[in-house]
Amino acid sequence: MTPEGDLLHVVTRDAISAPRRAMGRLLIWGSFGLLVLVAALQALDVAGQIGLGLPNWRPTLYAYGFWATCLCIGQVVLKGEQGKRLVFVLPAALFTVAMVVFPLVFGLTIAFTDWNLASLTGRRFNGIDNMAQMWADPFYWNAMGNMVLYVAAILVEYAIAFGLALLLAAEIRARRFFRVAFLLPLMLSPVAVSWMIGKSMLEARFGPLARLARWMGWDSPSFFGSPEIARITIMVMDAWTFIPLMMIMLLAGLQAIPRELTEAARVDGAGPWKTFWEVTFPLMLPVSVTAILIRIIFKLKLADIVINVTAGGPGGATDTVTSFIFREYRDRSNVGYGTLLAIVYLVLIVIAMTVLMKLADRLTRPRT
Amino acid sequence: MKPELYHYAVRRGLTRRRLLQGAASAGAAAALGGVFTGAAGRPAWAQGNLRAEILKIPGVGMGSPTDADWQKVGELCLGPTRERVAQGEFAGVELTFMGLNNQNLHNFLFRGFLKPWEAYTGARINWIDLAQADYNARLQQSIATGTVDFDVLEMGAPFEGDTAGRGLLDEMPDWVKQQIEADDLVGYLQPPVGTWAGKSYRVTIDGDCHTFAYRTDYFGDGAIGGPSVPKTWQEVNAVSKALVGKTDPLTGLPAHGYLDPLKGWGGFGFYFLENRAAAYVKHPDDPAWLFDPDTMKPRVNNPGWVQAIQDVMDLIATTGAYPADQINADPGTTAFSQFLAGTGSMLMWWGDVGSMARTSDTSVVGDVVGFGINPGSDRRYNSRSGQWEDVANEAPNMAYIGWGVYVTARVSGDEKKRKAAWSAAAHLGGKDISLWMAAYPSGFQPYRNSHFIYEEWEAAGYDRAFVEDYLGSNADSYNHPNAAIEPRIPGIFQYYSIAEDELAKGFAGQYKSAQETADAIAAAWERITDQIGRESQIALYKASLGM
Repeated sequence: MTPEGDLLHVVTRDAISAPRRAMGRLLIWGSFGLLVLVAALQALDVAGQIGLGLPNWRPTLYAYGFWATCLCIGQVVLKGEQGKRLVFVLPAALFTVAMVVFPLVFGLTIAFTDWNLASLTGRRFNGIDNMAQMWADPFYWNAMGNMVLYVAAILVEYAIAFGLALLLAAEIRARRFFRVAFLLPLMLSPVAVSWMIGKSMLEARFGPLARLARWMGWDSPSFFGSPEIARITIMVMDAWTFIPLMMIMLLAGLQAIPRELTEAARVDGAGPWKTFWEVTFPLMLPVSVTAILIRIIFKLKLADIVINVTAGGPGGATDTVTSFIFREYRDRSNVGYGTLLAIVYLVLIVIAMTVLMKLADRLTRPRT
Repeated sequence: MKPELYHYAVRRGLTRRRLLQGAASAGAAAALGGVFTGAAGRPAWAQGNLRAEILKIPGVGMGSPTDADWQKVGELCLGPTRERVAQGEFAGVELTFMGLNNQNLHNFLFRGFLKPWEAYTGARINWIDLAQADYNARLQQSIATGTVDFDVLEMGAPFEGDTAGRGLLDEMPDWVKQQIEADDLVGYLQPPVGTWAGKSYRVTIDGDCHTFAYRTDYFGDGAIGGPSVPKTWQEVNAVSKALVGKTDPLTGLPAHGYLDPLKGWGGFGFYFLENRAAAYVKHPDDPAWLFDPDTMKPRVNNPGWVQAIQDVMDLIATTGAYPADQINADPGTTAFSQFLAGTGSMLMWWGDVGSMARTSDTSVVGDVVGFGINPGSDRRYNSRSGQWEDVANEAPNMAYIGWGVYVTARVSGDEKKRKAAWSAAAHLGGKDISLWMAAYPSGFQPYRNSHFIYEEWEAAGYDRAFVEDYLGSNADSYNHPNAAIEPRIPGIFQYYSIAEDELAKGFAGQYKSAQETADAIAAAWERITDQIGRESQIALYKASLGM
């Protein structure tokens, strides 16, 4: 151990010998070579080039596990104290690679194939044919258009959630009861919401809401009969489920605002609206942006209510990208095309969320 | 029998006298010991009247059968197995059985039936239980990824193309045909159903078809629907339009005619357009009605099919013909939320809707339901000549064809295991055990000619009128000479699924006409055929039609 250097962060400075370094490298690269070899042999076996008769990909998985273990040990052998630090992070990183990156790469390879599970010929590489099919697929773009409308509705949801959060942050009677009561819809599964609300309460003839609508003068209430009303009904059901999520986040933000700030504004003569608009709302911007971004992510996954209540109808008016992919994948066993649609959707989401986060960052940056 | 139907039959047919008779006979049998306890010293198959004996387990009106009852029936019906398999012959053999675990019993029942078979033969069965919704995906994925991990499979005939067509099934040995007395199957379940390229693969355990249910209070002298029940789709549409503005005699709400499901149902919704279309396009001289068997060119956009779509569009365009929100009604809605709740007067459905009319707590139409076969047409379209013919036509739709038990090719290389698998399948599909399955809750409908001996049902405690009504509607459909049989080709539900999507657009007015809607379906079907492989589809389609 040498006493010089960064004593604050480095407990010990190891003197790693050359043979030990060689041993570390051998451990890492040897196990990596084994992994490559096993994976290559399995690939050849699957392709029918050699006849190992392996029933599954477990040998490659075991080789990956062995390499991951050797990599971790190798870091310590190779780098000593620095290597030990890496071992704190490396297993998590390798696990993520195994659980996210591998499936993504596998998904990409499927996305560029013609793979209908009913086809006798199995999976065939078809270049950009799936992309061309997607480009000309009116169902996909219709669903994508619907998603824009669904996402736009988040602004209304945000306004309602903010109003409810302000209400629950105020000194009102039975505040705790209302906080719990308003959270209840969030505790329900969207499938339960689909059946309880969409299929029962909104049932056109005997549903209580239909009866109420008739009592109020709507002769023949139909909540899913026209494209516009059906879309709005789906939006309302989804909003009813997830507004509490935004509300609770905004409520937490409101409670974190120092009371002195609003009191100071009032002392300076600001009325309730000016206090809200000039003090509360700007201070809530970071929380608001976070709530909206999280809600967008939830909204982009919208499928269960649509699948259960309208199956995308009438005429695709309520279809979402996810519910369309579900039909393409599950009902039509069109794995190659369905995977491509999902990958494209993922890319679009990543791009859109990156842009939104940049904008949000700019929006919430303190103005000087 | 569908469980609901059993309860319906019990409620409808069981009198106090019969209940006492049943209890007395059960008591007497129990006093004698043996048969009902499964501890008989003499072999079960030696009994003089096995069929009558098993129909007394547990006895109509004695509550739903339990696992103990299934085991008793399985034990009593082991005779044919004992004739072909020595005791303990399959010791050490392990089989994996994949089937359904839904509310209609299926695997639960099979477990009970096969327990005495396992005890006698020495084989052991491992079970893969699937929810109905997961079944198709699990089967397709197993096939596509080469991970078929089951030896015996409960499967619907529509999937024969996906399995037999790929050589994944083991051919049925001749001794199995003899054991299950395959000649007893009703006509439409005879080959080519259950066969591919002349080889048999299926032990049939079920029959399926759509029958016509109607409200008896809508039809008759002075009734709002007219003096007689519609017999053709033309009459169905005319009545549906004429009922607009009238009041339902039962509920006092607006009256409606036929209930078309206008929303998709995972592919199953297409069966309901088929009901209409079959009457127009299923020509008695031609087994094909969905595709041209030589080219796989879809017939779904020929004038007959277009007429069926147009019929639906006509009713959509007639304000009040359908209930509000019909555009969002799937088949489940039309049957259970509408028809049984007193909305609408005519419906096509599988065999259980009539029974639920009596047994479901939400039903209000229990006393006013009648049955018939699929309505016909006063003209038919001949695909070969490309002309309409002014000849009346009827074509019951054998939707789904029913369940069967199949053995996979996994056992083909091991003769002992193969014999064990087929023995298990044959036990489930035996002639006598099938009568019990038809008469008690099992999830399966009658499917043998011997199931229509009304005296056996009556002797078991069923009401004769009920039996004749229920069995008669099935028998008339099964035995119809022009039944529309489902094509058993790979990916058949893919065709149905995309058709549902296109129909939804057509019904929502996004296409200009019925013809344009039908053309869109045909184009989508062509793409699926090309993707799956046209030549193989042609070959498999012909094989499924027995051509």
